[in-house]
Amino acid sequence: MATASPSEPPVSLLPVTLRRASVSGRFFLVYGTGVATFLGLVLVVTSRTTYGTTFPLLLPIFGTVGSMGGLLVFTNDRTKGVLEYLLAYGLSPQRLFTNVLLTGLALVSIVLTVSVGASAALYTLSGGPVTAPLLVAMFGYGVPMAYACSGFAAILGMYWTALSSPRQGMSSPIGLVPLLGILPAMATLGLVGVVAARGDAGPTTLALVLVCACAAVALVDATLLALSGRLLRRERLLSPA
Amino acid sequence: MTDPNSEPLGGPTAAAELACRDVTAGYLGSQVLREISFRITEPAVYVVLGPNGAGKTTLFRTLAGILQPQAGEVRIGGEPIDRASARDRLHYLSHVDGLPDGLRVREALEFYARVERAGPADVERVLDQLEIRSFSDQFPSQLSAGQRKRASIARLFLRERSIYLLDEPTANLDPKVAREIRTLILRLSQERIVLYSSHNLFEAREIGRYVLALKAGRIALFDRIENIRASRFVLGLRLLEPTVALPGFRREGDYYVRELSGPEEVPGLLRDAMERGAKIREAREMENPLEELFV
Repeated sequence: MATASPSEPPVSLLPVTLRRASVSGRFFLVYGTGVATFLGLVLVVTSRTTYGTTFPLLLPIFGTVGSMGGLLVFTNDRTKGVLEYLLAYGLSPQRLFTNVLLTGLALVSIVLTVSVGASAALYTLSGGPVTAPLLVAMFGYGVPMAYACSGFAAILGMYWTALSSPRQGMSSPIGLVPLLGILPAMATLGLVGVVAARGDAGPTTLALVLVCACAAVALVDATLLALSGRLLRRERLLSPA
Repeated sequence: MTDPNSEPLGGPTAAAELACRDVTAGYLGSQVLREISFRITEPAVYVVLGPNGAGKTTLFRTLAGILQPQAGEVRIGGEPIDRASARDRLHYLSHVDGLPDGLRVREALEFYARVERAGPADVERVLDQLEIRSFSDQFPSQLSAGQRKRASIARLFLRERSIYLLDEPTANLDPKVAREIRTLILRLSQERIVLYSSHNLFEAREIGRYVLALKAGRIALFDRIENIRASRFVLGLRLLEPTVALPGFRREGDYYVRELSGPEEVPGLLRDAMERGAKIREAREMENPLEELFV
């Protein structure tokens, strides 16, 4: 047998967790990637203007759905006792949360790379103008908000999983978190609609609203993650006795 | 699987000590264990017994460093359990199999090997040692309960430790697989401390050298198993030809049964029965003294 040496650096679980999340959450990943890509391509073909104004706003919704595999692994690992083992091996709860969070973000990257890559390529090849508002909408809001919303969903789901007894179906974290995870993006859409409806808001104001919304969600993510060490104690992660 | 008397699994390890001092522990403020104290240094199987809710799983989780004691401390080799060097001396097997979803058995072992910093050669060795190579390319959902348990236990052999905490490792297994797992555990215990929780009293007597009985979160008894005597000793004899009259015995099914003052009377009674022509097929203690620990 190999012998133990506690001075060695901790191993990274991210690659294997990402692989597991891609397998367990393949439906979410394929759905999020597929629908976002399809929508992007259809918008480019039907109306390049609509693509520039609408597609970035929808990206967070599909990114969040596509990233559910990370949370799926977390909820299964709790029920199956894998988290209990990892705690016994000396991994901290914060490390487990961070691992799931990073896995979710990696899955969002897949959704974004495929959908934005494919639609932007078609947009450029078809002669669509690369304007500043498009870049702000895509990279000042769409892409970062997709990460922020996915992080929000993952953290919310981990809190929910840890604070509730295991359950199946729509009332489980996996059943409801995709719906709750996209709420920040939906709220931002509503806010943009309200601001735009006032009529006196220019592109700069709208861009500012989008960037601020994105920053606010990221701040909520960071706060929830920081509080996880205090609120989610080890016993919350154990398999049911 | 191999003979329990063959060489110890994994070779010798450094002497270990597992000590609990006034440990009170539980979940989210509630107390399940209360003022638990013991110190273990001798390599052996220590069977942890107790009725449901007595605190067995909580004790294992606390010893493994998963639950932090509300009071008192757990030390491994003199070091607090929250130190990596102390934690690295023990293995923990929970009552659930802990096989990750989405991974085949081999991949699950590779996953744990990565966590344990063991190598691919260790995974290959364990696949053969635990005889799981034949189903190593299957997902846990495709395995029988016995195969799943064996795959789960395989983790324990990826890396050498000196203390093993096994929470109901043979629960819900058929007798053959349970026996194989007990054999493995006996081999482990030749050089290591093994704490083993079970509801099976006969199993406890078969492999345990010590018993640690919990009742309502406290240690009710901690002693060598041979020192534990039932309040009454009942001898049962089964004969090849149950036609002989044995004075003082009554019939209970296939057995001739008699209550004695202690096991020291058994040799004389057996001699007497054989002199009367009884061909004894089996002699056994009818009441397991460990049963009383559950009352």
